[in-house]
Amino acid sequence: MKKILNIGWKDLIVLFRDKGALVLMLGAPFVLTLGLGLITGSFSNNSGSSSGLAGIAVVVVNKDGGELGQGLVDVLFSADLAELLAPDTAVSPQAARQQVDNNAIAAAVIIPAGFTDGILPNASGQVGEPVAIEVYANPARPISANVVSSIVADYINQVETGMVSVNVALTQLVMHGRITPANTESMMTLGQEMGQRLISQDAAPQPIRIERDKAAAEAASNPNFLAYIAPGMAVAFLMYTVALGGRSILAERDKGTLSRLLISPTSATQILAGKVVGIFLTGVAQVSVLIAASALLFGLRWGNLPGVVLLIVTVSAAATGWGLLLASLANRPGQVSSFGTALMLTFGILGGSFVQIPFTGLLAQLSKITPNAWAIEGFMSLSQGGSLADIAPSLIALVVMAALLFGTAVLIFQRRSGALIAR
Amino acid sequence: MFQKITALAWKDTIIRFSSRTELLFFLILPLVFTVLLSGGVGTGQTGAGDNRIVLLVVNQDGSEPANTLISALAASGVVRIEEKSLAEAETRFADEAAPALLVIPAGFGAAVLDGSTAVLDLRQLPNNNNANAADRAVQTAVSDISAPWIAARASLQEAEDLAPFADDAARQAYFQQATDLAAALLADEPQRVSVTQPEAAITEANTYDLAAHQSAGQLITWVFIPLLGTSALLAFERRYGTLRRLLVTPTRKSTYLLGTIFGQFSTAVVQMGILVGFGIVVMGVNWGHSPVGLAIMLLTFGLSSVAFGVMMATFVKTESQANNLSIMLGMSMALLGGCWFPIELFPPAVQTAVHVLPTTWAMQGLADLVMRGAGVAEILPEAAVLSGFAVVFFIVGIVRFRYE
Repeated sequence: MKKILNIGWKDLIVLFRDKGALVLMLGAPFVLTLGLGLITGSFSNNSGSSSGLAGIAVVVVNKDGGELGQGLVDVLFSADLAELLAPDTAVSPQAARQQVDNNAIAAAVIIPAGFTDGILPNASGQVGEPVAIEVYANPARPISANVVSSIVADYINQVETGMVSVNVALTQLVMHGRITPANTESMMTLGQEMGQRLISQDAAPQPIRIERDKAAAEAASNPNFLAYIAPGMAVAFLMYTVALGGRSILAERDKGTLSRLLISPTSATQILAGKVVGIFLTGVAQVSVLIAASALLFGLRWGNLPGVVLLIVTVSAAATGWGLLLASLANRPGQVSSFGTALMLTFGILGGSFVQIPFTGLLAQLSKITPNAWAIEGFMSLSQGGSLADIAPSLIALVVMAALLFGTAVLIFQRRSGALIAR
Repeated sequence: MFQKITALAWKDTIIRFSSRTELLFFLILPLVFTVLLSGGVGTGQTGAGDNRIVLLVVNQDGSEPANTLISALAASGVVRIEEKSLAEAETRFADEAAPALLVIPAGFGAAVLDGSTAVLDLRQLPNNNNANAADRAVQTAVSDISAPWIAARASLQEAEDLAPFADDAARQAYFQQATDLAAALLADEPQRVSVTQPEAAITEANTYDLAAHQSAGQLITWVFIPLLGTSALLAFERRYGTLRRLLVTPTRKSTYLLGTIFGQFSTAVVQMGILVGFGIVVMGVNWGHSPVGLAIMLLTFGLSSVAFGVMMATFVKTESQANNLSIMLGMSMALLGGCWFPIELFPPAVQTAVHVLPTTWAMQGLADLVMRGAGVAEILPEAAVLSGFAVVFFIVGIVRFRYE
């Protein structure tokens, strides 16, 4: 046993002294976590939102002299939208469109002359020709332009609903004989009074209210996006570490150090077991360092400590299984490195380490063979206050994965023992 | 001299592709990432040729207002609804097969019609942009269908303020008449908002073309990483002493460097050609109206990347360091450059800061081509900046380069 631990410890020391390896073992997950944290705004607010939409540059041109055109300008410049929009005004539609053409802004909102007159009746009760507000959208910023269009559309919707409400109310009152206006003028006056009442009833209950799932709302209100990114990245690059460990098994043979070890009173089984322990310990150390660093530097709360420890141990075991399987199948150390890196990237995307994609069908099943998917699920659960019972499925899946992969690798190693020891 | 340069480039290509595993990074992984991140095969974001986000809908009510809501959602350009039973929908949602689940509870229609507030139950995956988009789509549909009821409620209120109704049936009839009137008037409303965009634009107005974005973004990512790997090739030559041996021959140092750069750059051009072709043929991406503009962008991006690789070679000692640093820098610079997520989602300060990266300019240039339909003149600023990066990186790399 002592020999096994010595070999494992030696491998751990060798890997942690390799500056090149440390770049991917610790540097890459840390830098990518930092990068994702920056682009999602996770360091600058407490929303934890995955969307950093803010300060959308929009230019308004108001050619309408009426109250409705000015109302839209007021909405775009309102305090409620101050964080989302960065509005500005321009004098001419051409100048505003030019800014979109130059990719300087997300959209230009052009309110044409006669917009108000096309909706509200004038003193003689006449309504002008309807004209449309133009939202000139930047195709390179479709999401931001869509937000601007939605705001304009919502405003128009409110205006139209208000107009139709007055129209319907007056029509019905007259139809049912509840009022008998003397002339058009008195109808106009009634309509204006009604419009004022409707505006003052702004807080009246809506016919439909959307209630968001409380768990999701709570999750969104906590700074947990980093809690998703950090373990995702740690586990993604754990796959690199275990591949590197698997590579060292074949590298010992190629460099002749394996033969020297075998001359000593150490059996091949002890050497292999030592290598496995080395890979496992390195994985545990790597994930632990990343988790401790993200807790200290990013202030992440990882939740239930025994649960975190168990997850680190089981995910390292499962990843070690993958590393061993790679080593057992490969002929040359270089193959283990290449396939290991490919596996790291593929598992990273399938398991949701880089981007959260809701897979279905075969891809959903494939994601379950990655340690990434199970570990991220477990870490997310713990960071949201989950208990050991909550992460039990992840723990069981990772242990089963480790056992299956380890067993398969050992069988292959036994069949290829000759090739492993001598080439 | 040109013969020597091509010979060196060919030698490097043979070394690089001596292992078939190189094809994994040259071709297979870039294509897999492009397809997966574009939501191409079996993801929750697409159906067959349908790029809308999946919204699971459970209709426990079955009333007319509930059906109206479902029709409005079905007409959405953002979400594609899948009607399920509650158990089925909850299972699919728990499996994260869809980013959002909407439950229309029993009594929804009755609440809408009797003047109280009907409540919808919307469940979303946390921290998921598609869930946020689905939320907005539900809000839009609710807003659209609510207008007649809002108008009818106002009309009813006005009538009741004047005199109460004889009975509930009369009140209900009045409300129904108001709803019908309002619906008819709203349907007759002229179009008051028009969304336009520059004539040359390729993507539809207000539509985020995921395939176009990912096709361009993954091209940059997967070409950038191996070009940074030029540093590993130079480290390899240094480590094995082959560079010293080469320099014993009548070959100038500049010839050697040019040969190495030419080899890596040519391979990258072939790779970019394949990825653009894949985007056009398989992903259906329109790569723009300007083949010349595209060529300029790809060539300047390739040059700036290989120059970065040469510069990096002067800072690394071993191949392992060079390879691993290439992956780390390649992935993080692609991420920050907007190759994985649209840069417009970044916080404003970060949007400005990331312009120090060549990947940001490359992505901006390609987005100009594939989304804005830009021509040569429009992408020249990005191409000029990338050329500037190339010059600076080459100068630093050549000045610091150690031949032994």
